[in-house]
Amino acid sequence: MSAIRVVVLGAGVAGHTCASFLRRWLGREIEVAVVSPRPDYNWIPSNIWVGVGILTERQVVFPLAPIYQKAGITFHQAKATVLHPEGDQADPRPYLELVSTVAGREGQSERLHYDWLVNATGPKLNFAATPGLGPHGGHSISVCAAPHATEAAARLDEAVERMRRGERQRFLVGTGHGTCTCQGAAFEYVVNLEFELRQRKLRHLADITYLSNEYEVGDFGMGGINLRNGGYITPGKIFTESLFAERGVDWITRAHTTAVEPGVAHYETLDGGTGEARFDLAMLLPPFAGVGLTAVDRAGADITPKLFAPSGFMRVDADYTAKPYEQWRAGDWPRTYQSPHYRNIFAAGIAFAPPHPISVPRQSPKGTNITPAPPRTGMPSAMIGKAVAASIRDMIRGAPEPSHRASMAEMGAACVASAGNNPFTGTAASITVFPIVPDFERYPEYGRDLDYTFGEIGLAGHWIKILLHHMFIYKAKLRPFWSLIPE
Amino acid sequence: MSNPSTQDRRRGFTRFMRTFLPWQMWRFAMINLKMMSLMRKSHHGGK
Repeated sequence: MSAIRVVVLGAGVAGHTCASFLRRWLGREIEVAVVSPRPDYNWIPSNIWVGVGILTERQVVFPLAPIYQKAGITFHQAKATVLHPEGDQADPRPYLELVSTVAGREGQSERLHYDWLVNATGPKLNFAATPGLGPHGGHSISVCAAPHATEAAARLDEAVERMRRGERQRFLVGTGHGTCTCQGAAFEYVVNLEFELRQRKLRHLADITYLSNEYEVGDFGMGGINLRNGGYITPGKIFTESLFAERGVDWITRAHTTAVEPGVAHYETLDGGTGEARFDLAMLLPPFAGVGLTAVDRAGADITPKLFAPSGFMRVDADYTAKPYEQWRAGDWPRTYQSPHYRNIFAAGIAFAPPHPISVPRQSPKGTNITPAPPRTGMPSAMIGKAVAASIRDMIRGAPEPSHRASMAEMGAACVASAGNNPFTGTAASITVFPIVPDFERYPEYGRDLDYTFGEIGLAGHWIKILLHHMFIYKAKLRPFWSLIPE
Repeated sequence: MSNPSTQDRRRGFTRFMRTFLPWQMWRFAMINLKMMSLMRKSHHGGK
């Protein structure tokens, strides 16, 4: 048995990146263990293409066990339920309670001790927040998980069959709650859907509507973006509305989806109004919440509120003081992702609790919060995972505090949003922002450095999207020289 | 203010360039350089 064990909860972008670098940097006398309830890795950005039937689930998913076995990472296919950061009265070593998700051993519990813990569980897809939302007993589809995307493709095929018989179809794509994040995924799905219907020569039979909790389209949960391109500065609203207008996609913004019934989504708007959007097929994203991990101290008392925010995400080194929008600062955002209470616990990726949204918070007259949550997927998740791994490596070697930082207010992000998959006629919007969280003290005019904040749409973006798909799956499989591929 | 036919020509040209191979090969190189430059700026070392 190893003298030191580092446990990473979650095998998504943040957790897998963190565990892979820990294994690469630390000697074999230190155990690196990953706990994930699912046996597979899913390259989620390409789920969009699964959802429109261009890729199959097998092309975006692969089993983790053989990869980890080869790399020397211990893999537990299980769900963590309770965190004991102080151990218990019989044993002061910190540990986790795990419940197996292996077929035939479901529900069996085990105790896993750790010396260092990284919480990178990702989100719970909170379909239950909106009645009737989601593929599990609801009336809408999703592309958040590979099986959801496969189901979305099957449902799209059914709609296409109806269109081939001459029936007109209404498609509704967007957010299923007023606090959703990941509007970029909904944007990608709606423009890919429109492109695919054109490819199948059925576009004239489709009415496509984008339904969003954004104040304006192009907000993307980042408070909007101003893109420099060709000598002009274009607001994200104009950029996105232009793309929708030339594709004949209608849009409804400032909307909180209150319920989804068969064929109709009900929503409330920021101005206090209500509306209905009728559909034959609806792809509506769920809001995110923490996975429901609880924590108890050595005496067995519940300390969940101490470690986790009410949303279920883990508190880290952010400034969580409640304050009005005008007083939000870039410095509120976490840098090291270390728990303020336990120096051996970190959170990475979606699992950390953001101090507040990035977009301006807004409420309807009824008090409904209609504000996009901040995005922290993809590139920032990977960069945070790597920074946390580097800090743990250095602290194991004697550093007194985390040595690496990865604040979203000090890092940029590159996003390539597919707008149609074809090697000659496809396009994608290539967007970069720096920093992700606007810093109006450093960049008073726009909050961002416009030398690094640009966007354009074209075939080149689609080629980059294809390149990233293959490159990041290669990297995730830990093939030779994987660590040379940037996050 | 340009007349509608001029606007149509401009829009047509803009959309044509989005999938015009020589231009897009150039843009492919330029966008990759921009993204690599962003990554260099984003990656912090130690504090």
